[in-house]
Amino acid sequence: MAVVLGVCMAGCYRVSDTFPPNRVYTVRLERAFRQPFEPQRQAELRKLMTDLFGGPDQPRVPAEVRSLGLFNDEWLAAAAGPVGSDKGGRSKGLFREHCAVCHGVSGDGVGPVAFVLKPYPRDFRRGLFKFKATPKGAKPTHEDLRRIIETGIPGTGMPSYRVLPAWEIDALAQYVTYLSVRGEVERGLIDYAAGELRPDQPIVDEDATDEEQATQRRVISDLVSTVARSWRQSESLVTPVRPPKSGRDRNASIARGRELFLGDVANCVKCHGPSALGDGQTTDYDDWAKEIDPTDSIALAEYCRSGALGPRPIQPRNLRLGIYHGGGRPEDLYRRIHNGIDGTPMPAALIKAPNSPPSTKGLTEDDIWCLVDYISSLPGTSETNSSP
Amino acid sequence: MANRQSAVVAQHDRMSPWPFRLAVMLSCVTFPLISIGGLVTSYDAGMAVPDWPNTYGYNLLLYPYTTWLFGPWDLFLEHGHRLLGVLAGLFAMGLVAVTYRVDSRRPARIATVAALVAVTAQGGLGGARVLLDDRQLAMLHGCVGPAFFAYCVALASCLSPKWQSLVPKLLGAHSDRKMLLDQKLRRFTLLLALLFYVQLVLGAQLRHIPVTAGPWLFNMSLLLHLTNAVLLTLSVTVLGLSLRRGRVEPELRPVVSAMAVLLCIQLVLGVTTWVVKYGWPYWFAQSLFAASFTVHAKSMTQTGIATLHMAVGSLILAAAVLTHVQTRQLLRAQLRNAPRQTTPGMVK
Repeated sequence: MAVVLGVCMAGCYRVSDTFPPNRVYTVRLERAFRQPFEPQRQAELRKLMTDLFGGPDQPRVPAEVRSLGLFNDEWLAAAAGPVGSDKGGRSKGLFREHCAVCHGVSGDGVGPVAFVLKPYPRDFRRGLFKFKATPKGAKPTHEDLRRIIETGIPGTGMPSYRVLPAWEIDALAQYVTYLSVRGEVERGLIDYAAGELRPDQPIVDEDATDEEQATQRRVISDLVSTVARSWRQSESLVTPVRPPKSGRDRNASIARGRELFLGDVANCVKCHGPSALGDGQTTDYDDWAKEIDPTDSIALAEYCRSGALGPRPIQPRNLRLGIYHGGGRPEDLYRRIHNGIDGTPMPAALIKAPNSPPSTKGLTEDDIWCLVDYISSLPGTSETNSSP
Repeated sequence: MANRQSAVVAQHDRMSPWPFRLAVMLSCVTFPLISIGGLVTSYDAGMAVPDWPNTYGYNLLLYPYTTWLFGPWDLFLEHGHRLLGVLAGLFAMGLVAVTYRVDSRRPARIATVAALVAVTAQGGLGGARVLLDDRQLAMLHGCVGPAFFAYCVALASCLSPKWQSLVPKLLGAHSDRKMLLDQKLRRFTLLLALLFYVQLVLGAQLRHIPVTAGPWLFNMSLLLHLTNAVLLTLSVTVLGLSLRRGRVEPELRPVVSAMAVLLCIQLVLGVTTWVVKYGWPYWFAQSLFAASFTVHAKSMTQTGIATLHMAVGSLILAAAVLTHVQTRQLLRAQLRNAPRQTTPGMVK
């Protein structure tokens, strides 16, 4: 009986040949343009995306991306597909084994476990990543992604995969990039279809002349190239970290850092609070939550029906704990302040030249090091010692 | 009545110990079998060997042992799990053969054949899980394993000549004792065993959650798992208090005590499993211990604790089933010894 029952159950929840579409973004644009996305258009989008990027079992790299050398086919094949291993113990289906239960098969951040985790797992499809060495708005480097996978994020559900062989971590980091590129292209196509085309107009019209079809395909090709290039160039955008001046007075640096922390220019106090407990502004949301307008309860219900998780306000870091999600090395803290944190209300610092007049608004590199010193001095001290 | 009781005791004393011994051996093989099955799940090694019943084209029993022992870890687990499954099957066959030879009781024979059928079906289910590469089948396979283990333990108890002869002796020795066993206790222990099994199925659902499932499935399973854990804790507490107050036969003390102790361990393991898998709940976010805690995926701690949680769950289920079976046996023996009169609410 058990066997019969089992065979009847087989196939439930099987991973589809195609990635699930980005329904949440579609709903957002439907609301914005007050025009429904017809099922025919949704089907065309899905087919186009599958032609370009393949499916969860057999990912494909579009020619525009391949020419940039962004992906290693061997890693991509190992990260995709169902879980297993070959006779030599070489793993397959790495993403489904390690990541999909939280991040979802398409990297939408809505895996089965997502709801019980706080913060929610990252939705890769926006191409936005918090902890990286590149400026705000730029893509993370491969090294940024692999570092997060290897070290995990303390205090969250993101585990460290230190036990995995280096190549498996590389393969996972690359698959995250693949899902991001795919997700961004999908968003771009939804944007294009919703903003540029009539509701009944296909993205690629098979009945159009060859010239028209070539133009339509060029739009897609340009979109893919733009997204892929933004990833390619991330390696050259890494923010350099020049070490602080040697022989500086650390106590003076901490005092200056505190002044900046509480002052109007850095204005860290706004969110992190005067005592740096993360108790300042606590009603803001991150960009992933803002995708669905957290203040509109009617729209929210529609978004949640389309697969979004209910938005939760973002919690500014309690800096007195001395535990930092993006890494606690001085250069990590420097970059967090210098670049800000993508997708969150944490802004990039307004940088001014070293010899600017004092009246110029902004922070110098030395000022950032002072802030790093101040923040590093907070753990283990009582609130009253350093509150204003 | 004393003569009849003596006759029953003598009959049980003459019972061959071999079916019991084989049933114990079957249980002893089944426990590591399901524990290694739990490790297979923890390490996602279910598809480490893509064919079945062969292992990479080799007959299961002829697969080179050096490759098995010194090869990849997931292959070691999966192939080892299969070999233990074969061993369990052999013990089940031996049990049937010996029971048919030395035990003329029809229920005993049927029960041993049922064990053989169950272990074969479970093997087939495991094979189907591999051939269809289906996570839902893996979950079903994971749910049948502990049920089979509990069945083996209960079977061993039923085939135990010592316990069988002990029951009438005990009842004879306490013939003046107020009848403590009643239908309520029988139903209560049955309900307890069922609730423990539901708990195990919910746990298996959490462990085998399909990656394509929506968050609702995990949330619902988790909520029910936690609610049921509270219910089970209260139920075992009630059973333990009844035992202390003398409302339950003292002969059930070892198994009920074991169940209570295992449940305490299991509660700690449940919390620990969550923490090592998903980190501390967000309520502790402002505490240094929680903020600094990093989950280490596939670490020995994570896989070991999760597997232990599953293994202890199986032991508790076996203890609960054993409690129910022994309660039934005591009740039946009591009825046999009772004066021939109609007593309301008694088992016929």
